[in-house]
Amino acid sequence: MTFSLLHATDFADRLLYKIIPPLKAGMIVLADRYAYTAFSRDTTRGVDRQWVRELYSFAVRPDLALYFRTPIEVSVDRLMARRVKLKFYEAGLDMGWSSNPVESFRLFQGKVLSEYDRIVEEFGLQVIDAAGSITEQQRMVRQLVAPHLATSPVEMSDEQPVA
Amino acid sequence: MSSPLHDSLDGANGGIQSGRYYGRAIPYLPIDGYPGKLIAIEGTDGVGRSTQIELLREWLEVRGYGVIETGWTRSPLMQPTIELAKSSNTLNKLTFVLLYATDFADRLEKEIIPALKAGFVVLSDRYIFTALARAGVRGVDRQWLRSLYGFAIAPHLVFYLKVDVETLIGRVLEARGMDFWESGMDLKHGDDIYDSFRAYQNKLLREYSSMADEFHFRNIDARRSVDTIQMELRRQVAAFLESADEPRPE
Ligand SMILES: Nc1ncnc2c1ncn2[C@@H]1O[C@H](COP(=O)(O)OP(=O)(O)OP(=O)(O)O)[C@@H](O)[C@H]1O
Ligand SMILES: [Mg+2]
Repeated sequence: MTFSLLHATDFADRLLYKIIPPLKAGMIVLADRYAYTAFSRDTTRGVDRQWVRELYSFAVRPDLALYFRTPIEVSVDRLMARRVKLKFYEAGLDMGWSSNPVESFRLFQGKVLSEYDRIVEEFGLQVIDAAGSITEQQRMVRQLVAPHLATSPVEMSDEQPVA
Repeated sequence: MSSPLHDSLDGANGGIQSGRYYGRAIPYLPIDGYPGKLIAIEGTDGVGRSTQIELLREWLEVRGYGVIETGWTRSPLMQPTIELAKSSNTLNKLTFVLLYATDFADRLEKEIIPALKAGFVVLSDRYIFTALARAGVRGVDRQWLRSLYGFAIAPHLVFYLKVDVETLIGRVLEARGMDFWESGMDLKHGDDIYDSFRAYQNKLLREYSSMADEFHFRNIDARRSVDTIQMELRRQVAAFLESADEPRPE
């Protein structure tokens, strides 16, 4: 609970100072993780699903939300290749499910992933297959983002010929 | 309106049992049947809560109860952060609400719940109602606040030390003077701390009063002497603890 509220406080701070002002100015804001991260992480840690959603009801609903979906084994492999040591909380070691970090990570992230599946449904996230190559993924991302840019007022005013 | 809010509101209104959660939130910490008792002493800034709690604690201990005190922004985790945010006066109202909620959650999980489990009487110097009142005055959505604090435990007793602004002003000036936050100076009613204190405390008192029925406050007239208030508190606490100690018919 405390963990969940600490993150929410940090999120509120970033929302109010880093996200809302540029949006008001008509800019595009790219958020690496958003409230959905909290929904899956906190629920996996045992916090009530509905309560977290209520908690974050002050957040702005994104115009587009992308979810990079990956099978658990792929994310384990990627993490192992990149880092020597798994982060304590990322591996859910505080949950006491397993003292083996890799095993704990698998269990914990497995639950996180299934929470995400629920969130994708509930909030209409766009799924990108993160098992594919970076180039393929980027192509998908651009395809999904393009329609939103075409209708943005900033973009339009740029394209309109001056009479 | 979506259902979750209403669930927690119904909980708070519909006479949720003391010692239970008001609404949703910590399924991983079941608290049913814990032997301890939670007693909240609420009231605005400088009304005399600490004075009363000090006396109540001694009296309870002499009578053989294990007593633990808990208070607002006392959590070791959050205190430095809150003090820092206050001292820089940049606390946005939403961040302010969430910081207080974080502090409260920390104390609930680490102090209050373990103490209730171990059978202590927990005396809480302020409870969620101060947070609800302060945020309410600052225009934060009241339903959202109730849902946020759904993880709080409904106290067995809530004493509300009720006072009028005139009496309060006298007491605060005599004791220690007016403080920036207690005067709601962040609300920018004006530069005059006296006028601001009066206006802000008036709003706060109204906000507390509006919660009285919903959360079963026991109103205690705090304009009286320290001793008179203490006698009344003891009488009510004794009556409650005795009835709680009686073996329940199976
Ligand atoms: N019933 C009373 N009559 C007159 N003075 C009182 C009474 N109760 C407390 N005081 C005085 O008022 C001052 C504030 O009391 P106390 O510190 O108990 O209030 P508090 O509600 O805990 O304040 P704070 O909000 O700062 O924690 C003290 O100087 C105390 O002696
Ligand atoms: Mg005090």
